Amino acid sequence: MEDRPHPYVRTLIEQVNEGTISRRDFLRKATLLGVSAATAYSLVGMVEPSRTAKAQTVPKGGNLRIGMRCMEIKDPHLADFAEKSNVIRQVCEYLTFTDRHNITHPYLLEKWEVSDDLKTWTLHVRKDVKWHSGRQLNADDVVWNLKRVCDPAIGSSMLGLFTGYLVEEYETGEKDDKGNPKKSSRLWSDKAIEKVDDSTVRLNASTPQIAVAEHLFHYPMFILDPQQNGSFGPAANGTGPFELVEYTVGKSAKYKARTDYWGDGPHLATFEFVDLGDSPGAGIAAMASKQVDGLSEADAVQINSMKAFPHVAVYKVETTQTIVARMHPEVEQFKDKRVRQAMRHAIDRDKIIQTVLLGAGTPAEDHHVAPSHPEYAALPKYGRDVEKAKKLLADAGYPNGFEYDMVTRPDPIWELNTAQAVAEQFKDIGVKVNIKSLPSAQYWEVWTEAPFSLTAWGHRPLAIMTLGLAYRSNAAWNESHYNNPEFDRLLTQAEGILDPKERSKVMAKIEAIMQDDGPIVQPFWRVFSTVMDKKVKGFELHPSQYIFAHQYGVEA
Amino acid sequence: MARYLIGRLGLMLLTMACASFLVFAVCEFTPGSVARKSLGPFATQQQVQLLMEKLKANDPLMVRYGRWLGVLLGLIPDPLQDPGTGLNFTDWRGKQYFGNFGYSTLNKLPVNDIIWERLGNTALLGGIAFLLIIPFSILFGVLSGLKEGGGLDRSLSVICITFTSIPEFASGVFLVTLFVILWPLLPGTSPLNTDAGWSLPSQLVLPVAVLVVYDFGYVARMIRVSMIGVMEKPYIRTALLKGMSTRQVVLGHALRNAMIAPFTVLLLQINFLISGVVVTELVFAYPGFGRLILEASLFGDVATIEAATLITVAIAVTTQFIGDLGYVLLDPRVRIS
Repeated sequence: MEDRPHPYVRTLIEQVNEGTISRRDFLRKATLLGVSAATAYSLVGMVEPSRTAKAQTVPKGGNLRIGMRCMEIKDPHLADFAEKSNVIRQVCEYLTFTDRHNITHPYLLEKWEVSDDLKTWTLHVRKDVKWHSGRQLNADDVVWNLKRVCDPAIGSSMLGLFTGYLVEEYETGEKDDKGNPKKSSRLWSDKAIEKVDDSTVRLNASTPQIAVAEHLFHYPMFILDPQQNGSFGPAANGTGPFELVEYTVGKSAKYKARTDYWGDGPHLATFEFVDLGDSPGAGIAAMASKQVDGLSEADAVQINSMKAFPHVAVYKVETTQTIVARMHPEVEQFKDKRVRQAMRHAIDRDKIIQTVLLGAGTPAEDHHVAPSHPEYAALPKYGRDVEKAKKLLADAGYPNGFEYDMVTRPDPIWELNTAQAVAEQFKDIGVKVNIKSLPSAQYWEVWTEAPFSLTAWGHRPLAIMTLGLAYRSNAAWNESHYNNPEFDRLLTQAEGILDPKERSKVMAKIEAIMQDDGPIVQPFWRVFSTVMDKKVKGFELHPSQYIFAHQYGVEA
Repeated sequence: MARYLIGRLGLMLLTMACASFLVFAVCEFTPGSVARKSLGPFATQQQVQLLMEKLKANDPLMVRYGRWLGVLLGLIPDPLQDPGTGLNFTDWRGKQYFGNFGYSTLNKLPVNDIIWERLGNTALLGGIAFLLIIPFSILFGVLSGLKEGGGLDRSLSVICITFTSIPEFASGVFLVTLFVILWPLLPGTSPLNTDAGWSLPSQLVLPVAVLVVYDFGYVARMIRVSMIGVMEKPYIRTALLKGMSTRQVVLGHALRNAMIAPFTVLLLQINFLISGVVVTELVFAYPGFGRLILEASLFGDVATIEAATLITVAIAVTTQFIGDLGYVLLDPRVRIS
């Protein structure tokens, strides 16, 4: 790749030198286009945070226990929680790796190349990777995995992510009970996913797509051994650093280190996840009696009670995890955009962050683009303005406000607490919100259908990923039923622009549309936190709650 | 006796049939499809439809109930084990056998693979607690019932009522704060493995303590009332006037008669200790039966809920039967015929 870098890389270098884009922006863009992280860092005169230097300080041997839910796992391509992916992640791996700074690196890939039109992606598979069974990883394995997640019968959420550039929806010709035509999905072309040779795979996209490398790190996108046909358990064959020895749902997952792992590590001899259930107190108690050496996640309340323990270290990382109160614009009360604007002016973000997150958050701006996203464009900020909100409501025909049900779920507890905090603040402009809290499983059944709901959105390294999934007309996860042709047009335009300067001009328009007409009230971005025993070395908190046990060690 | 046993067994089967149908019907009315819950929030509607068809979840209620019953009794093979469904579901016991509880959609495993270990764990926890609740409650109940309104009665009553009024999650947190954080003598959670260096008995101390503290005061109050009633009986007065010591009167005359009514209450605690200990299990991350039922109920995992229902009904009927036998031993006037 370095012998023929993407033509745009030169423009990027010029822009760094002119000072028009930051070095962080450069790193992110250049690595997306297939430049290796080491080269990208050196191009702008920075030293890559070296993994080898860290490895020397990580102690060898020992056992590490981390407290985390151990849920059912039948098929890794169906993983739908970070916890499930963490259990699999130690055994099976991804083609790419997005680090905690949102920079994506090749992983099971040696490198990738992108065509100038961003439609043809050539993936070069590493030749030194061996399955636990001893066989070498090859292009056939990769093709099998990529095609498998595109099969609707499998049920992987990768299908939604690939829809639009690798996968297309079509009408089957049958009708459902209501007489609507039944839809299904298929690869848009026979050549969409194509084997070039034993170690090369080519993706031929129907439309330009810049986030391919990030998509390949989306948590269900594990590379599995085709011979095992998608099953997972103690006999699972992976390319990863550990082998799973024992797995008991609701109890624990136990691993043994591989001695023939292709990459750095693992430093530990054995590793373990311990299921502590849903009670936040159990995590604290288990840390206190040293039954676990760390937790996969600890919320602000838990951190507060544990920071006094002398053996505990607290870790924090800013994320683009957030929560949105979204309104269906087709509903009578929310039809007028002035009502939606009024809702945005009704809330005091700092107060919500203090009461709900105990300060562990940063204010958001109602457009679902975070300052840490590379395409973020700064717009003028606005605070709480009850008078303005009341006037907007009156102009829209609701001088006395109205009453409405808001659907949410009781756990994690910060979601319900946010619901209560925003409901209190909506009350001040005359909007009485009745909180309907549904158990998680039932909540996910209605999450796209409820006219007014509070929904948490996970961390994603690029804002266009979330905007495309959540707000494009008819997108699979468009829970807010937002439908704005101008927004769609600008988003498609932004997805095809490589120049961060040019793109942020378009993004500024998109963000302005969201603030003016959009369907959401977005109070904050969450700071993600957890705890580890001080004897745990090499631990870095990943914003997606991912655990990479092969990087960690324990002091005896 | 044989007729009595057969009658009892028949009653148990009838109760089980009614309860299992009720559970099926109730699950029908809870919102959210099993397929959506299995695939998670981000699956497309079409993927959900496909899984619904594979799980045969679109069939009418009676068809699904009949199929479940047939699989349970071993009359038909479990259709979900058919490789054609692509569910990858296998049971090493086979497709068709008596007592096949089917496929847990929550855990993606045969229900028989998970439920018995969980039941065993809870039986261990509940069993030890029960063995401690009996002597504590009898001791407290008898002592306070000896002389109603006396100093001993008042102080023991205060203890019993206070302990019973503290909810399990509160006493759990309180005990953890004392014995795990302030004086680190005991482990804070009970995952039932010794990997972290805490022995199994040490892991049982706090959960058992929470259950005993919560439950013994209630039973003691029942025994107290019964004891007061017995102590007012003329034959007790006669015995005392005869010059027998209080100890002889209590052990020889009062205790057995005072235990007849509370005996049922004590046996009912077994049912509570099997399926009602979910709070204690959550607080201590104890891998037990109650937590399994809670998770299965929230998920709408009908197969697991049904298995749990049948097991709890069987336990309830059995304890009731033991109760009837116990009456015969305690009260010679009662006869089983």
